[in-house]
Order: sequence, then C-alpha cells, then structure tokens
Amino acid sequence: MRILIVEDEKSLSSEIKQFLEKEEYNCDLAYTGTEASELIAINPYDFILLDIGLPDYNGLDLIKEAKEYNSEAYFIVITARGELEDKIKGFDLGADDYLPKPFSLLELLSRIQAITRRKFGHLSSIITFGEFALDTTKKHLQFDNNHIDLTKKEYKLLSYLVLNKNRVLDRLQLTEHIWGEFFEDDFDSNYIDVHIKNIRKKLSIHDNSNWIKTIRGIGYKFEI
Amino acid sequence: MKLPKLKLKSQLAIFNAFSKALIVTLLLFLIPWLVSKISINETDEVLIQKLDQVIELVDSLGMESYIDMDAEFQAFGSYNILKEEYISIEQINPDTIINEIQFSQRIIEDELVDYRVLSYSIEENKNNYVIEIGKSISTIYQFEQNLKRLAFIFLIIIISLTFIFDLSFIQYLLLPFERIVKKLKLTNHPSSFNYTPIKTSTSDFVYLDETIHILMRKIEAAFNDERDYISNVSHELLTPVSIIQSKLDNILHDSELSETDMIKIFESKKTLRRLTNLVRTLLMMSRIENEEYILTEKVDINKTLRNVIEEIEDKIEAKELQLILELSPLNFIVGGNENLLFTLFYNFINNAIRYTDIGYIKIESFKQNDSFTVKISDTGIGIQKEKIPDIFSRFKNSNETKDSYGLGLALSKKICDYHKIDVDVISESTKGSVFILNFP
Repeated sequence: MRILIVEDEKSLSSEIKQFLEKEEYNCDLAYTGTEASELIAINPYDFILLDIGLPDYNGLDLIKEAKEYNSEAYFIVITARGELEDKIKGFDLGADDYLPKPFSLLELLSRIQAITRRKFGHLSSIITFGEFALDTTKKHLQFDNNHIDLTKKEYKLLSYLVLNKNRVLDRLQLTEHIWGEFFEDDFDSNYIDVHIKNIRKKLSIHDNSNWIKTIRGIGYKFEI
Repeated sequence: MKLPKLKLKSQLAIFNAFSKALIVTLLLFLIPWLVSKISINETDEVLIQKLDQVIELVDSLGMESYIDMDAEFQAFGSYNILKEEYISIEQINPDTIINEIQFSQRIIEDELVDYRVLSYSIEENKNNYVIEIGKSISTIYQFEQNLKRLAFIFLIIIISLTFIFDLSFIQYLLLPFERIVKKLKLTNHPSSFNYTPIKTSTSDFVYLDETIHILMRKIEAAFNDERDYISNVSHELLTPVSIIQSKLDNILHDSELSETDMIKIFESKKTLRRLTNLVRTLLMMSRIENEEYILTEKVDINKTLRNVIEEIEDKIEAKELQLILELSPLNFIVGGNENLLFTLFYNFINNAIRYTDIGYIKIESFKQNDSFTVKISDTGIGIQKEKIPDIFSRFKNSNETKDSYGLGLALSKKICDYHKIDVDVISESTKGSVFILNFP
C-alpha cells in the first residue's frame, strides 16, 4: 500500500509517516501543493491523505487534479477548519473520508482499513477469534454459527478492539470512535467500562477466555 | 399610559387630521358668531336710519297725523304684510327717557314674532312719546343657519381634500425613508445588505442612506475579519494540538513504556482533548454568530430527538436511569439546521444524564396553542435559584464539583437564539431541572 501524505506541518506529517510505516504502509511526504501535484503525476498511490488548508494550493483543486492521474486513489481529507461547506464539497469531489484535526492516528488507521475493506470487501470481511466470527460487512458476531445479539455500540466497540488486536486502546480513542466528534466532555465517565462489561458477559456465555484485557488507568486490549 | 408605536407616516397623518379637525371646530363656532354680530350691527344701523326718517316725518307732518288726540289710546301702529317690520308710536309718562335697542318679542295678529326693536322717546306738544321700530330677526336666524350649514359642508370638503393631498404628499415624501427601512428589515446579515442607493430628492434621506451604507460596510468588514480570524486562530490552535496528539499516540504505541508513564501520557491526551473540545465549541459558537450555518433544512423534530436518544440511550442504561419518552404523534417539521438541532438536543439530554444519578430522564414533545414544545426533565441535582440566570453564560458553571467548561449550555443558547427557539428553565436545587424549548 502506498500512501501520499500532503501536509504542510512537517512535524505532523512525520508522526503520521512513522505511525503508518509501522503498520507496513509505504509513505511519501509532500509539504506543499506543488510538491504533491508533482508526486501525484508520477506515482500511483492507493491513498492520498490531504490537508485541505495548504498555503500554496487549494486542496479541492488538488483532488480534481489527482483524480486525473490517480483515478484509483482513495482520499482522506484532513482539515483544521472543520468547515461544513468544505466537507460537502470534499465528498462531492470524491473524497472518501474526512477527518477533523486533531485526530488520533489510530482513528486514521482504522479509516484507511475501513476503506481498504470496502475496496476488497469479501476477502477480509470475516475475522475469527476462537470459535467466534466477526463479520465486518454484515456487522454481526457469530459463535459456531449462532448469532450473538450485540447493540450497535457494542458491535462498534468490539470490532474496533478486534481490528486493533493486541494493541492498547485508551478510553479516549474508544470514546472518540463510538461517539464521534460530539462535544463530549465527560469521557472520564465509565460508559466505556459498562459497554465492555456487557460485551464480556455476552462473550463468556459461549467461551470463557479473557479476550478483552483491562489496562489499568488507560483502557483495554483485545488479545489473541 | 404607553402609546403604541406608530409609523412616522401614520403619526404625521394623525397630527394632520387633528390639527385640521381643530381648525374646523374653531371655524364652525367662530363664523356663525361673527356673522350674527355683523348682521345685528347692520340691522341696528337700518333701524337707526328708519328712526331718523320717522322723526322727520313726525316733525313735518305733526304728531296729529299719526295719533288721534281724542282717542282713548294715544297710539299708532303699522306693520307690513309679512310682519317683517313694524312701527309704533305711543304716548308715555313724561320724564321717561328711552333710547335703546334690544331683542324683544311682540304679538302681532296672535302670532309671536322675534324682533330687534329700537325704542326712542321724543317730546311733542308737551307730551312724551316713544317710537318703536322693529325688524324681524327670523330672517337673520335663517341666514345664520344656512351659513352654518354651508360653512360646515364647505369646510369638510376643503379639509378632506387638503387632508388627502397632504397624506399623499407625505407618503410620497417618505417613500425613500420607507425603502431604507425595508432594506434594513430585509437584512439579517451584513453580507445580504442591498447596497443600491435609494432614489430621493431629500438630502436628509440621501445622508441617512449613505451613512447606513458606510456603517453596513464597516460591520460587514468586521464580520468577515472576525470569521477569518476565528477560522485562522482555530486552525493555528488545532494544528499544534494535532501534532502533540500524534506524538503522544506514537509514544503510547511503543509498549516499552512503564505503566505509570503510559498513564501520564494518557492523562496528557485527556487534557489535550479538553482543549480540542474547547476550541471546537468556541469555533461553532462563532460560526453561529456569523450565521454560517444554513437554516433552510427541513428538520423533523421528533425524528431528530429519536436519533439523539438512540445515540445516547446507552448512557441512560449505564447509569440505570429510567427513560420516559412522550413524543407527540404529530410530526413537527421546522426550517433549521439539522446538525445544530441535533447538537442542541444532545447537549440538553447529555446534561440531564450527567447531573442525574437516580430517577428518570423525561423527554416530551407536544403541540400547544399553535407552538411546538420540547421538554426535557430530570430528577438530578438541579440548579440553585440564584444561579439560573447565569447558566447560559460562557464559562459559568452552575455546578463546580464536576469539571465542565460551562460552554455546553452557552452553545445551546446560541443554537436556540439562532433558530428563534425560546428556552425556559425551571429548576430547584436537589429536585431536578426542566428545560422547555418553545419553537416559533
């Protein structure tokens, strides 16, 4: 997978690059629209991560341009302005997702993975652990072909943990993932814990293994 | 007494009508009075002339030709057929001197007639006589009545004509002024102001129009500056926050850290999240102030409430609160911004959940007297009476024990004002709160 990161803040783009390269993505950096425009013209990219607020280039123009040379590429637009008009325009122009600054790198990764799963849909849509099967296309969980009834949020939480297995997910990342960018200011509360408790209860009926580990003071980790 | 507010045009018309009515009333009293004064004066002069003639006649012909000296009643009388005038001569006591003009009634041929009577005593042949000359005043009355009626009709016509003329002239004169007012009324944001100059020959209106244009341009520039400023500031703030967050994410990703270090980094992330929320909320409030959100979406209030509840229901369950939902069976669609209204309901319900540890959250919607109401009640800690006026102010939190930034309710109030939704708060400390949203 080859990703172009178009971001004028060098410090930010290097962090993104560092994170994504650990996940085995190939990353190119462009600090200006002109640089990006040149790179897009020569290289085929799977993903283009675009900060819409470039100093030298209108980000939306860059999407248009890239669509010509890199028609296969997927776009994730990053903006600090969070302007609604830009959001709509971005989607109209074929941006596949949209992330407001600041975003967690894990959230970025999960968006990239979600788009990839959509792209190669059937191949990797079922994830298994023990006798459980999590279908990310149909959005349900089965145990030995028996459907396990999860609420929407429980499913969202479990799939996020499963997709990021063996990684510590902190409460903030989990809250952000389930509730999105609502103006939450009570993430200290135990709502995530209650959901986890319920998920554990539902899993333990079928299999007593401790899939979800509590990381004290931080969050949870799904271990396989 | 408080007078109702009226348009300038109407006020001028009313004043005009009043002043004219005053003049008419004055004239209606004054004219007949003057006319009767004049006609009485004239009558008196005629009477005096006639008296002179009579005295001359008596002098030249002698009293005997009028009064039979042997008769028992020493008197003479004469009147014309229509009894408009009469003359009488009568002997009176000597030493009595009479010289007067007065109104008097006389019976002539069994008919009571009003006369203006001139009485004058003369001495003739050592006898004293009084000559009376009378002129009927019914003609004067008649004339006065006719004049009154005519004057009244004439005045009414003249005044109506001038009133209509004045009114249309005022209307014409004030037309540019009304255009200016209309232009201002149609402007809900400086950017939508119509800068076409008003056509007028009145220099005051030209000045007014120009001044408003200048002010409007200043306001528009200030608005744009503020919008750019906020947009830039938030960009400038959110980018460094984003950098720090990414760095912290990467550090957390390295699992070589000790548990205490990881917790410290997580705490830093939480603080960063607070900062992010603060900036985003401020940004949203400024955007509302700048009217950047479109208000033309058709929003189904009950549907939006259900969406919010679906999103937030698990919190209610997690706190083991009871959810009472009483939504109106009627669909209520308002023109507004769905995202903002969602945020509004979300904030109120989220607040209700946050401050309630036992009991219920009740969400109602109903139609009452043509207006639609959404009511959110809880059995939480409530708000102290003296703090209710402050709850919608920025950075004032009614409850210091929980860490909040006091912006949630301020944002909600902004959204309400933007949608012209009226908010009422009924709350008592320890007894819960009720937030009532009345839609226009």
